[in-house]
Amino acid sequence: MSDPDTPAIAAATTIDFEALFETAPCGYLVSDRDGRLVRVNRTFAGWLGVTPDDLRGRRLPDLLTVAGKIFYETHFAPTLRMQGRLDEVALELVAADRRRLPVLVNANTNEGDADADRQVRFAVFLAAGRRGYEQDLLDARDRAQATIVSERADSELREQFIAVLGHDLRNPLASINSGLHLLARETLSARGTKVTELMSGSVLRANALIDNVLDFARGRLGGGITLAYDAHTPLEPMLQQVVSELRSIAPAQSIVTHFALHEPISCDHVRIGQLLSNLLGNALTHGAKDQPVRVDATTSLGELVIAVSNGGTPIPEAVLERLFQPFYRGHDRVRQGLGLGLHIASEIALAHGGTLVARSDAVATTFIFTMPLAN
Amino acid sequence: MTDEFHTMTVLIVEDDALVRMHGVGIFEDAGFRVLDADSADEALVILSDGGKIHLMFSDVDMPGTMDGLALARVVHERWPRIHLLMTSGHHRLRDDDVPGPGRFVPKPWQANGLLDEARALIQA
Repeated sequence: MSDPDTPAIAAATTIDFEALFETAPCGYLVSDRDGRLVRVNRTFAGWLGVTPDDLRGRRLPDLLTVAGKIFYETHFAPTLRMQGRLDEVALELVAADRRRLPVLVNANTNEGDADADRQVRFAVFLAAGRRGYEQDLLDARDRAQATIVSERADSELREQFIAVLGHDLRNPLASINSGLHLLARETLSARGTKVTELMSGSVLRANALIDNVLDFARGRLGGGITLAYDAHTPLEPMLQQVVSELRSIAPAQSIVTHFALHEPISCDHVRIGQLLSNLLGNALTHGAKDQPVRVDATTSLGELVIAVSNGGTPIPEAVLERLFQPFYRGHDRVRQGLGLGLHIASEIALAHGGTLVARSDAVATTFIFTMPLAN
Repeated sequence: MTDEFHTMTVLIVEDDALVRMHGVGIFEDAGFRVLDADSADEALVILSDGGKIHLMFSDVDMPGTMDGLALARVVHERWPRIHLLMTSGHHRLRDDDVPGPGRFVPKPWQANGLLDEARALIQA
């Protein structure tokens, strides 16, 4: 800094405070202790499209929107009285032409003066840009929330649709199934017999798929798996029936069964049948075709254990962990269905207070279902 | 084939023609005399004819003015001696849900299981 400049700076510091007040880049207002405006600068009056004289004697809330008036009376004025100052209050002014001007207001009181002389000074800043930015943020948040809500509704609708579709698909399938039973009573050629058997297997598979999809959709809709416990009817005929149904689907594969069910089992027979059907279907699809699938069902030590095992390539540990997740289809994408069978089986196990675990080594892959005999 | 049921008449109520024919076949093979209806309304017409019917075997979901359970309630009220066996592929009823000392058998039926339920009802 050089000497010649010093007098210039000194001269510049002689400020015309009157002009600064009137034309400052913010609005200045002074009110008396009752809130009546005693002085308003030209900047502020200009924003509203009036002259400073027009505003003298009016109160700040008279210049605000209705919401602003209420806020001023309930919050702004009391806080100012108690604390002596208030910063960055967002308000909206209403101009002479009814335009709304978003502003930020700072205010303080001239402490120490006698109460009668107490004045309130306001500095008012236009905040259209900032308020616009805030409004954009709020709008964006609202839009995001609306999207989430609508996606939730969409997904619920989708699951309801699946449930209704699955439900309605059962009717024509039942009809086809009955037709096949009727045909089976006719005298058919060897080929006709073979065709009806294969068709029965297809109907069975379609029904199993619908059962699984419906259970999944129901689970997603919050219904969960409900059980109809029956401790009196023997379980073995249900298990035998499932095995014979799956034998008809895969007649070339050998299924070896061993049942030792000597105690009453309190369970949902249809559900346990579905569990076995899913496990057995899985074993027949993925096991080595030249090795038998074993089904072992025993009661001992207060538990029912159903184990289904097949030969073939062992399943890696990392894959085993994910097998029970819905829609998980391992590496074998072409052969598999939706990947719901094992998931539903584990849900059925869970609903019975039991467990379903998978073990796999070079000898066999085994799924073991265990549940307590009494619920 | 057995003549265990040869003096018995069953009324089968089912709206799907193939499913109804399947049911008719199972009961006929067991020796029943079989009447069939494709709706609750037609069933009531047959029942009102006054012929002796021992067992009504009815689906739950049916189009028309009345579903199977409503039909079962009417039958239990007006003809309490008729045994009621209900069936459905969608609903899993308990025997208690069927009016009177009725029973429920889920679809799809196994011929033996279906006849076991019919026998249990008739002999009760």
